[in-house]
Amino acid sequence: MRTRFLIVDDNELVRQSLRTVLQANPEWEIAGEASNGQEAVEVFQTSRPNLVILDFQMPGMNGIETARRILEIAPAMPIVLFTQHASLELEKHALSVGIRSVVSKTDTFPMVGIIEALLGPSELPAAKEQKDK
Amino acid sequence: MNEQQKVNILMVDDQPAKLLSYEVILKELNENLIKAHSGREALDLLLKNEIAVVLMDVSMPELDGFELAEMIRQHPRFQKTAIIFISAVHLTDVDQLKAYQRGAVDYISVPIVPELLRAKVSVFADLHRKTRQMEVLNRELRSLSARLIAMQDEERRRIARDLHDSVGQLVATLSMNNGLALMQVEKLTPPAGEALRQNTELVKQLSKEIRTISHLLHPPLLDEIGLLPAIKLFADGFAERSGIQVAVELSPELGRLAPKVEISIFRIVQECLTNVYRHSGSKTAAIKIWPSDEKMLTLQVCDQGKGIGVERRASMSSGTNNGVGLSGMRERLRELGGTLEIQSNGNGTTVTAVIPETTAATVGVS
Repeated sequence: MRTRFLIVDDNELVRQSLRTVLQANPEWEIAGEASNGQEAVEVFQTSRPNLVILDFQMPGMNGIETARRILEIAPAMPIVLFTQHASLELEKHALSVGIRSVVSKTDTFPMVGIIEALLGPSELPAAKEQKDK
Repeated sequence: MNEQQKVNILMVDDQPAKLLSYEVILKELNENLIKAHSGREALDLLLKNEIAVVLMDVSMPELDGFELAEMIRQHPRFQKTAIIFISAVHLTDVDQLKAYQRGAVDYISVPIVPELLRAKVSVFADLHRKTRQMEVLNRELRSLSARLIAMQDEERRRIARDLHDSVGQLVATLSMNNGLALMQVEKLTPPAGEALRQNTELVKQLSKEIRTISHLLHPPLLDEIGLLPAIKLFADGFAERSGIQVAVELSPELGRLAPKVEISIFRIVQECLTNVYRHSGSKTAAIKIWPSDEKMLTLQVCDQGKGIGVERRASMSSGTNNGVGLSGMRERLRELGGTLEIQSNGNGTTVTAVIPETTAATVGVS
Protein backbone atom coordinates (compact mmCIF):
# COMPACT_ATOMS: atom_id res chain seq x y z
CA MET A 1 0.00 0.00 0.00
CA ARG A 2 1.36 3.35 -0.99
CA THR A 3 1.62 6.37 1.24
CA ARG A 4 -0.60 9.26 0.19
CA PHE A 5 0.45 12.83 0.92
CA LEU A 6 -1.50 16.03 1.18
CA ILE A 7 0.71 19.03 0.41
CA VAL A 8 -0.40 22.46 1.66
CA ASP A 9 1.58 25.57 0.77
CA ASP A 10 0.54 28.90 -0.70
CA ASN A 11 3.56 28.90 -2.99
CA GLU A 12 3.31 26.86 -6.18
CA LEU A 13 7.10 26.54 -6.49
CA VAL A 14 7.34 25.06 -3.01
CA ARG A 15 4.57 22.56 -3.76
CA GLN A 16 6.31 21.62 -6.99
CA SER A 17 9.62 20.97 -5.23
CA LEU A 18 7.85 19.00 -2.53
CA ARG A 19 6.19 16.87 -5.19
CA THR A 20 9.54 16.14 -6.78
CA VAL A 21 11.12 15.25 -3.43
CA LEU A 22 8.26 12.97 -2.38
CA GLN A 23 7.77 11.29 -5.72
CA ALA A 24 11.42 10.30 -5.74
CA ASN A 25 10.17 7.46 -3.53
CA PRO A 26 8.10 5.05 -5.68
CA GLU A 27 6.01 4.07 -2.65
CA TRP A 28 4.86 7.64 -2.13
CA GLU A 29 2.21 9.52 -4.04
CA ILE A 30 0.49 12.90 -3.90
CA ALA A 31 -3.14 12.54 -2.85
CA GLY A 32 -3.93 16.21 -3.02
CA GLU A 33 -2.69 19.77 -2.83
CA ALA A 34 -4.03 22.96 -1.33
CA SER A 35 -2.80 26.54 -1.28
CA ASN A 36 -4.46 27.69 1.94
CA GLY A 37 -5.84 26.32 5.20
CA GLN A 38 -9.49 26.40 4.28
CA GLU A 39 -8.86 24.52 1.07
CA ALA A 40 -6.59 22.10 2.93
CA VAL A 41 -9.40 21.02 5.25
CA GLU A 42 -11.70 20.45 2.27
CA VAL A 43 -9.13 18.54 0.21
CA PHE A 44 -8.18 16.53 3.28
CA GLN A 45 -11.69 15.15 3.55
CA THR A 46 -11.92 14.14 -0.09
CA SER A 47 -8.35 12.95 -0.76
CA ARG A 48 -7.84 10.63 2.26
CA PRO A 49 -4.10 11.13 2.73
CA ASN A 50 -1.88 9.24 5.20
CA LEU A 51 0.28 12.23 5.96
CA VAL A 52 -0.07 15.99 5.69
CA ILE A 53 2.73 18.42 4.97
CA LEU A 54 1.61 21.87 6.04
CA ASP A 55 3.05 25.34 5.55
CA PHE A 56 2.86 27.59 8.64
CA GLN A 57 2.45 31.13 7.36
CA MET A 58 -0.33 31.29 4.78
CA PRO A 59 -2.94 33.89 3.95
CA GLY A 60 -6.01 33.41 6.12
CA MET A 61 -5.78 30.42 8.44
CA ASN A 62 -2.22 29.54 9.45
CA GLY A 63 -0.72 26.06 9.59
CA ILE A 64 -1.31 25.55 13.32
CA GLU A 65 -4.98 26.40 13.02
CA THR A 66 -5.32 24.23 9.92
CA ALA A 67 -3.68 21.33 11.77
CA ARG A 68 -6.15 21.79 14.61
CA ARG A 69 -9.08 21.49 12.20
CA ILE A 70 -7.63 18.43 10.48
CA LEU A 71 -6.94 16.74 13.83
CA GLU A 72 -10.54 17.33 14.85
CA ILE A 73 -11.51 15.20 11.87
CA ALA A 74 -8.70 12.64 12.17
CA PRO A 75 -7.01 12.85 15.59
CA ALA A 76 -4.18 10.45 14.74
CA MET A 77 -3.23 12.01 11.41
CA PRO A 78 0.52 12.59 11.19
CA ILE A 79 1.14 16.22 10.28
CA VAL A 80 4.50 17.81 9.49
CA LEU A 81 4.75 21.59 9.72
CA PHE A 82 7.04 22.84 6.96
CA THR A 83 8.14 26.41 7.60
CA GLN A 84 10.70 29.17 7.21
CA HIS A 85 10.01 30.09 10.81
CA ALA A 86 11.09 26.83 12.44
CA SER A 87 12.13 27.55 16.01
CA LEU A 88 11.93 26.00 19.44
CA GLU A 89 9.00 28.24 20.33
CA LEU A 90 7.03 27.37 17.24
CA GLU A 91 7.83 23.69 17.71
CA LYS A 92 6.55 23.74 21.31
CA HIS A 93 3.35 25.31 20.15
CA ALA A 94 2.98 22.99 17.17
CA LEU A 95 3.52 19.84 19.25
CA SER A 96 0.99 21.06 21.79
CA VAL A 97 -1.79 21.03 19.19
CA GLY A 98 -0.78 17.56 17.97
CA ILE A 99 1.53 18.29 15.04
CA ARG A 100 4.16 15.53 14.97
CA SER A 101 7.17 17.37 13.64
CA VAL A 102 8.44 20.74 12.43
CA VAL A 103 10.77 20.81 9.43
CA SER A 104 12.63 23.94 8.45
CA LYS A 105 12.43 25.15 4.88
CA THR A 106 15.98 26.35 5.43
CA ASP A 107 17.24 22.84 5.88
CA THR A 108 14.99 20.36 4.14
CA PHE A 109 17.45 17.52 4.09
CA PRO A 110 16.10 15.74 7.22
CA MET A 111 12.54 15.78 5.90
CA VAL A 112 12.53 12.39 4.18
CA GLY A 113 13.98 10.72 7.27
CA ILE A 114 11.38 12.40 9.50
CA ILE A 115 8.55 11.26 7.25
CA GLU A 116 9.85 7.70 7.20
CA ALA A 117 10.11 7.70 10.98
CA LEU A 118 6.57 9.06 11.28
CA LEU A 119 5.18 6.41 8.97
CA GLY A 120 6.90 3.81 11.09
CA PRO A 121 7.62 0.19 10.21
CA SER A 122 4.00 -0.97 10.30
CA GLU A 123 1.52 0.03 7.64
CA LEU A 124 -0.33 3.28 7.91
CA PRO A 125 -2.57 3.23 10.98
CA ALA A 126 -3.73 6.71 10.17
CA ALA A 127 -5.41 5.79 6.91
CA LYS A 128 -7.16 2.90 8.60
CA GLU A 129 -8.50 5.08 11.36
CA GLN A 130 -9.85 7.60 8.93
CA LYS A 131 -11.68 4.89 7.04
CA ASP A 132 -13.14 3.58 10.32
CA LYS A 133 -14.66 6.90 11.26
CA MET B 1 -7.25 78.80 16.45
CA ASN B 2 -5.32 81.22 14.29
CA GLU B 3 -3.37 84.14 15.60
CA GLN B 4 -6.03 86.72 14.82
CA GLN B 5 -8.79 84.82 16.52
CA LYS B 6 -10.51 86.80 19.26
CA VAL B 7 -10.57 85.60 22.84
CA ASN B 8 -13.27 86.23 25.45
CA ILE B 9 -12.73 88.68 28.27
CA LEU B 10 -15.21 88.51 31.11
CA MET B 11 -15.81 91.71 33.12
CA VAL B 12 -17.57 91.31 36.46
CA ASP B 13 -18.93 94.25 38.45
CA ASP B 14 -22.23 94.93 40.21
CA GLN B 15 -22.16 98.55 39.03
CA PRO B 16 -23.19 98.96 35.38
CA ALA B 17 -21.33 102.26 35.10
CA LYS B 18 -18.03 100.58 35.94
CA LEU B 19 -18.68 97.79 33.46
CA LEU B 20 -19.27 100.45 30.86
CA SER B 21 -16.00 102.17 31.65
CA TYR B 22 -14.03 98.88 31.39
CA GLU B 23 -15.71 98.29 28.09
CA VAL B 24 -14.63 101.67 26.77
CA ILE B 25 -11.05 101.11 27.91
CA LEU B 26 -10.76 97.58 26.51
CA LYS B 27 -12.70 98.10 23.32
CA GLU B 28 -9.66 98.88 21.21
CA LEU B 29 -8.08 95.51 22.08
CA ASN B 30 -10.57 94.12 19.61
CA GLU B 31 -11.42 91.06 21.69
CA ASN B 32 -14.87 89.80 22.71
CA LEU B 33 -16.01 91.61 25.84
CA ILE B 34 -18.59 89.87 28.00
CA LYS B 35 -20.32 91.58 30.91
CA ALA B 36 -21.54 90.02 34.15
CA HIS B 37 -23.36 91.96 36.85
CA SER B 38 -22.87 89.50 39.67
CA GLY B 39 -20.67 86.62 40.76
CA ARG B 40 -23.44 84.14 39.95
CA GLU B 41 -23.85 85.48 36.44
CA ALA B 42 -20.08 85.36 35.99
CA LEU B 43 -19.97 81.67 36.98
CA ASP B 44 -22.77 80.92 34.59
CA LEU B 45 -20.96 82.66 31.72
CA LEU B 46 -17.69 80.94 32.57
CA LEU B 47 -19.33 77.55 32.23
CA LYS B 48 -20.78 78.41 28.84
CA ASN B 49 -17.78 80.16 27.28
CA GLU B 50 -14.08 79.75 27.04
CA ILE B 51 -12.77 82.77 28.92
CA ALA B 52 -9.19 84.02 28.58
CA VAL B 53 -9.24 86.80 31.18
CA VAL B 54 -11.60 87.60 34.06
CA LEU B 55 -11.59 91.16 35.24
CA MET B 56 -13.47 91.45 38.53
CA ASP B 57 -14.40 93.81 41.26
CA VAL B 58 -13.43 92.65 44.73
CA SER B 59 -16.43 94.02 46.60
CA MET B 60 -19.72 92.82 45.26
CA PRO B 61 -22.88 91.91 47.15
CA GLU B 62 -23.71 88.23 47.62
CA LEU B 63 -20.64 86.58 46.13
CA ASP B 64 -17.58 88.79 46.42
CA GLY B 65 -14.53 88.69 44.15
CA PHE B 66 -12.40 86.58 46.48
CA GLU B 67 -15.12 83.94 46.85
CA LEU B 68 -15.76 83.93 43.14
CA ALA B 69 -12.04 83.49 42.38
CA GLU B 70 -11.89 80.57 44.75
CA MET B 71 -14.82 78.88 43.04
CA ILE B 72 -13.33 79.46 39.61
CA ARG B 73 -10.00 77.99 40.61
CA GLN B 74 -11.60 74.83 41.96
CA HIS B 75 -12.84 73.95 38.51
CA PRO B 76 -10.11 72.16 36.55
CA ARG B 77 -11.16 73.80 33.30
CA PHE B 78 -10.45 77.26 34.67
CA GLN B 79 -7.14 76.49 36.32
CA LYS B 80 -5.34 78.61 33.75
CA THR B 81 -7.87 81.42 33.35
CA ALA B 82 -6.21 84.73 34.21
CA ILE B 83 -8.05 86.60 37.00
CA ILE B 84 -7.39 90.33 37.49
CA PHE B 85 -8.88 92.03 40.53
CA ILE B 86 -9.94 95.66 40.56
CA SER B 87 -10.61 97.34 43.85
CA ALA B 88 -11.11 100.78 45.33
CA VAL B 89 -10.95 99.42 48.86
CA HIS B 90 -8.99 96.44 50.25
CA LEU B 91 -5.71 97.97 49.23
CA THR B 92 -3.42 96.61 51.94
CA ASP B 93 -0.68 94.10 51.24
CA VAL B 94 -2.70 91.53 53.16
CA ASP B 95 -5.67 92.04 50.84
CA GLN B 96 -3.49 91.76 47.79
CA LEU B 97 -1.82 88.63 49.13
CA LYS B 98 -5.26 87.14 49.72
CA ALA B 99 -6.10 87.82 46.09
CA TYR B 100 -2.93 86.20 44.76
CA GLN B 101 -3.48 83.19 47.02
CA ARG B 102 -6.88 82.77 45.40
CA GLY B 103 -5.24 82.62 42.03
CA ALA B 104 -5.22 86.23 40.84
CA VAL B 105 -2.57 87.18 38.32
CA ASP B 106 -2.84 90.90 39.06
CA TYR B 107 -4.39 93.36 41.47
CA ILE B 108 -5.29 96.79 40.17
CA SER B 109 -6.37 99.62 42.40
CA VAL B 110 -8.75 102.41 41.54
CA PRO B 111 -8.39 104.94 39.99
CA ILE B 112 -7.61 102.91 36.94
CA VAL B 113 -5.03 104.09 34.45
CA PRO B 114 -6.67 103.05 31.17
CA GLU B 115 -3.43 102.38 29.27
CA LEU B 116 -2.18 100.20 32.10
CA LEU B 117 -5.35 98.11 32.34
CA ARG B 118 -5.41 97.70 28.59
CA ALA B 119 -1.78 96.62 28.49
CA LYS B 120 -2.24 94.10 31.30
CA VAL B 121 -5.37 92.53 29.83
CA SER B 122 -3.74 92.43 26.42
CA VAL B 123 -0.76 90.45 27.77
CA PHE B 124 -2.99 87.78 29.28
CA ALA B 125 -5.24 87.62 26.23
CA ASP B 126 -2.20 86.97 24.06
CA LEU B 127 -0.88 84.41 26.49
CA HIS B 128 -4.16 82.58 26.36
CA ARG B 129 -4.18 82.64 22.58
CA LYS B 130 -0.65 81.31 22.41
CA THR B 131 -1.36 78.59 24.97
CA ARG B 132 -4.33 77.45 22.90
CA GLN B 133 -2.23 77.44 19.74
CA MET B 134 0.39 75.39 21.51
CA GLU B 135 -2.18 72.90 22.68
CA VAL B 136 -3.51 72.50 19.17
CA LEU B 137 0.00 72.03 17.76
CA ASN B 138 0.82 69.60 20.51
CA ARG B 139 -2.23 67.52 19.75
CA GLU B 140 -1.38 67.51 16.06
CA LEU B 141 2.17 66.45 16.81
CA ARG B 142 0.95 63.65 19.06
CA SER B 143 -1.40 62.30 16.48
CA LEU B 144 1.23 62.61 13.79
CA SER B 145 3.77 60.68 15.81
CA ALA B 146 1.21 58.01 16.66
CA ARG B 147 0.41 57.70 12.97
CA LEU B 148 4.10 57.47 12.09
CA ILE B 149 4.65 54.68 14.59
CA ALA B 150 1.63 52.76 13.32
CA MET B 151 2.76 53.25 9.71
CA GLN B 152 6.26 52.08 10.54
CA ASP B 153 4.87 48.93 12.18
CA GLU B 154 2.66 48.28 9.19
CA GLU B 155 5.46 48.90 6.72
CA ARG B 156 7.81 46.55 8.56
CA ARG B 157 5.12 43.91 8.71
CA ARG B 158 4.60 44.23 4.96
CA ILE B 159 8.30 44.03 4.09
CA ALA B 160 8.76 41.01 6.36
CA ARG B 161 5.79 39.34 4.74
CA ASP B 162 7.03 40.12 1.23
CA LEU B 163 10.45 38.79 2.11
CA HIS B 164 8.87 35.58 3.39
CA ASP B 165 6.52 35.16 0.45
CA SER B 166 8.98 35.90 -2.34
CA VAL B 167 12.69 35.46 -1.60
CA GLY B 168 12.05 33.10 1.32
CA GLN B 169 10.02 30.66 -0.74
CA LEU B 170 12.51 30.73 -3.59
CA VAL B 171 15.32 29.91 -1.21
CA ALA B 172 13.21 27.11 0.28
CA THR B 173 12.75 25.54 -3.12
CA LEU B 174 16.46 25.96 -3.86
CA SER B 175 17.15 24.10 -0.65
CA MET B 176 14.80 21.27 -1.59
CA ASN B 177 16.25 20.96 -5.09
CA ASN B 178 19.73 20.81 -3.63
CA GLY B 179 18.54 18.08 -1.29
CA LEU B 180 17.22 16.09 -4.23
CA ALA B 181 20.46 16.51 -6.16
CA LEU B 182 22.46 15.53 -3.07
CA MET B 183 20.67 12.19 -2.99
CA GLN B 184 22.38 11.36 -6.24
CA VAL B 185 25.62 13.18 -5.59
CA GLU B 186 27.63 10.03 -6.26
CA LYS B 187 26.72 10.35 -9.94
CA LEU B 188 28.50 13.69 -10.16
CA THR B 189 32.21 14.21 -10.68
CA PRO B 190 33.99 14.99 -7.39
CA PRO B 191 34.35 18.74 -8.13
CA ALA B 192 30.67 18.98 -9.16
CA GLY B 193 29.66 17.12 -6.01
CA GLU B 194 31.76 19.47 -3.91
CA ALA B 195 30.18 22.49 -5.62
CA LEU B 196 26.74 21.09 -4.87
CA ARG B 197 27.61 20.62 -1.21
CA GLN B 198 28.94 24.17 -1.04
CA ASN B 199 25.81 25.49 -2.70
CA THR B 200 23.68 23.64 -0.21
CA GLU B 201 25.59 25.26 2.62
CA LEU B 202 25.32 28.68 0.98
CA VAL B 203 21.60 28.34 0.55
CA LYS B 204 21.30 27.40 4.21
CA GLN B 205 23.21 30.53 5.21
CA LEU B 206 21.23 32.70 2.84
CA SER B 207 18.01 31.39 4.26
CA LYS B 208 19.20 32.11 7.79
CA GLU B 209 20.11 35.68 6.89
CA ILE B 210 16.73 36.32 5.33
CA ARG B 211 15.04 34.79 8.32
CA THR B 212 16.92 37.03 10.76
CA ILE B 213 16.15 40.18 8.77
CA SER B 214 12.51 39.23 8.45
CA HIS B 215 12.20 38.39 12.15
CA LEU B 216 13.76 41.66 13.22
CA LEU B 217 11.45 43.57 10.91
CA HIS B 218 8.40 41.84 12.22
CA PRO B 219 8.14 38.82 14.52
CA PRO B 220 6.20 36.14 12.61
CA LEU B 221 4.95 34.38 15.73
CA LEU B 222 3.42 37.58 17.08
CA ASP B 223 0.44 37.61 14.74
CA GLU B 224 0.09 33.86 14.45
CA ILE B 225 0.61 32.58 17.96
CA GLY B 226 1.01 35.53 20.30
CA LEU B 227 3.23 37.81 22.30
CA LEU B 228 4.87 35.36 24.70
CA PRO B 229 6.31 32.93 22.15
CA ALA B 230 7.33 35.90 19.99
CA ILE B 231 9.25 37.46 22.89
CA LYS B 232 10.88 34.16 23.83
CA LEU B 233 11.94 33.58 20.25
CA PHE B 234 13.30 37.11 19.96
CA ALA B 235 15.18 36.78 23.26
CA ASP B 236 16.76 33.51 22.10
CA GLY B 237 17.89 35.05 18.83
CA PHE B 238 19.16 38.15 20.61
CA ALA B 239 21.15 36.03 23.08
CA GLU B 240 22.69 34.10 20.21
CA ARG B 241 23.67 37.22 18.27
CA SER B 242 24.84 39.36 21.19
CA GLY B 243 26.25 36.84 23.64
CA ILE B 244 24.10 38.44 26.35
CA GLN B 245 22.21 35.93 28.46
CA VAL B 246 18.52 36.78 28.59
CA ALA B 247 16.19 35.39 31.25
CA VAL B 248 12.55 35.50 30.23
CA GLU B 249 9.84 35.32 32.84
CA LEU B 250 6.40 35.75 31.36
CA SER B 251 3.22 35.20 33.26
CA PRO B 252 1.56 32.26 31.48
CA GLU B 253 -1.99 33.40 32.21
CA LEU B 254 -1.62 36.31 29.81
CA GLY B 255 -3.84 35.54 26.85
CA ARG B 256 -3.94 37.25 23.49
CA LEU B 257 -3.91 41.02 23.80
CA ALA B 258 -5.12 43.61 21.33
CA PRO B 259 -2.75 43.61 18.30
CA LYS B 260 -1.68 47.20 18.98
CA VAL B 261 -0.75 46.29 22.56
CA GLU B 262 1.14 43.17 21.48
CA ILE B 263 3.24 44.92 18.84
CA SER B 264 3.94 47.83 21.22
CA ILE B 265 5.14 45.56 24.02
CA PHE B 266 7.25 43.60 21.57
CA ARG B 267 8.85 46.77 20.18
CA ILE B 268 9.58 48.09 23.68
CA VAL B 269 11.29 44.82 24.60
CA GLN B 270 13.24 44.96 21.35
CA GLU B 271 14.31 48.56 22.00
CA CYS B 272 15.31 47.82 25.60
CA LEU B 273 17.45 44.84 24.63
CA THR B 274 19.09 46.88 21.87
CA ASN B 275 19.98 49.48 24.50
CA VAL B 276 21.34 46.80 26.82
CA TYR B 277 23.58 45.63 24.00
CA ARG B 278 24.68 49.08 22.86
CA HIS B 279 25.10 50.97 26.10
CA SER B 280 25.06 48.86 29.25
CA GLY B 281 28.02 46.52 28.87
CA SER B 282 25.90 44.00 30.80
CA LYS B 283 26.39 40.29 30.18
CA THR B 284 22.88 39.47 31.34
CA ALA B 285 19.38 40.83 30.96
CA ALA B 286 15.94 39.85 32.18
CA ILE B 287 12.48 40.36 30.72
CA LYS B 288 9.43 40.03 32.94
CA ILE B 289 5.77 40.56 32.15
CA TRP B 290 3.04 40.08 34.69
CA PRO B 291 -0.47 41.38 35.40
CA SER B 292 0.21 43.91 38.15
CA ASP B 293 -3.43 44.33 39.00
CA GLU B 294 -6.78 43.59 37.48
CA LYS B 295 -6.47 45.87 34.52
CA MET B 296 -2.77 46.58 34.23
CA LEU B 297 0.23 44.78 32.85
CA THR B 298 3.76 45.46 33.95
CA LEU B 299 6.69 44.92 31.65
CA GLN B 300 10.17 45.10 33.10
CA VAL B 301 13.51 44.83 31.36
CA CYS B 302 16.58 44.87 33.62
CA ASP B 303 20.28 44.58 33.07
CA GLN B 304 23.29 44.45 35.37
CA GLY B 305 25.37 46.90 33.38
CA LYS B 306 27.06 50.17 34.20
CA GLY B 307 23.84 52.20 34.21
CA ILE B 308 22.99 55.33 32.31
CA GLY B 309 25.77 57.91 32.62
CA VAL B 310 25.22 61.32 34.23
CA GLU B 311 25.58 63.18 30.96
CA ARG B 312 23.18 60.93 29.11
CA ARG B 313 20.71 61.08 31.94
CA ALA B 314 20.80 64.89 31.97
CA SER B 315 20.05 65.06 28.27
CA MET B 316 17.33 62.47 28.75
CA SER B 317 15.57 64.37 31.52
CA SER B 318 15.77 67.69 29.68
CA GLY B 319 14.25 65.89 26.73
CA THR B 320 16.79 67.40 24.36
CA ASN B 321 18.50 64.25 23.26
CA ASN B 322 16.36 61.26 23.95
CA GLY B 323 17.14 59.54 20.73
CA VAL B 324 14.31 57.98 18.82
CA GLY B 325 14.41 54.89 21.02
CA LEU B 326 13.29 56.30 24.32
CA SER B 327 10.84 58.84 22.96
CA GLY B 328 9.50 56.16 20.65
CA MET B 329 8.82 53.96 23.67
CA ARG B 330 7.14 56.85 25.48
CA GLU B 331 4.97 57.65 22.48
CA ARG B 332 3.86 54.05 22.14
CA LEU B 333 2.93 53.93 25.80
CA ARG B 334 1.15 57.28 25.70
CA GLU B 335 -0.99 55.95 22.85
CA LEU B 336 -1.96 52.96 25.00
CA GLY B 337 -2.49 55.05 28.14
CA GLY B 338 0.56 53.55 29.83
CA THR B 339 3.63 54.93 31.60
CA LEU B 340 7.37 54.42 31.42
CA GLU B 341 9.87 54.63 34.23
CA ILE B 342 13.63 54.21 34.09
CA GLN B 343 15.76 53.49 37.13
CA SER B 344 19.47 53.39 36.70
CA ASN B 345 22.57 53.28 38.85
CA GLY B 346 26.03 51.76 38.78
CA ASN B 347 24.56 48.28 39.20
CA GLY B 348 22.28 48.34 36.22
CA THR B 349 19.20 49.76 34.60
CA THR B 350 15.57 48.77 34.98
CA VAL B 351 12.95 49.94 32.53
CA THR B 352 9.39 49.52 33.77
CA ALA B 353 6.35 50.03 31.58
CA VAL B 354 2.83 49.83 32.94
CA ILE B 355 0.15 49.25 30.33
CA PRO B 356 -3.62 48.99 30.60
CA GLU B 357 -4.52 45.41 29.71
CA THR B 358 -6.56 45.46 26.51
CA THR B 359 -7.35 41.95 25.40
CA ALA B 360 -7.86 41.01 21.78
CA ALA B 361 -11.41 41.58 20.65
CA THR B 362 -11.39 38.22 18.97
CA VAL B 363 -9.45 35.68 20.99
CA GLY B 364 -7.71 32.82 19.27
CA VAL B 365 -5.15 32.24 16.62
CA SER B 366 -5.85 33.96 13.37
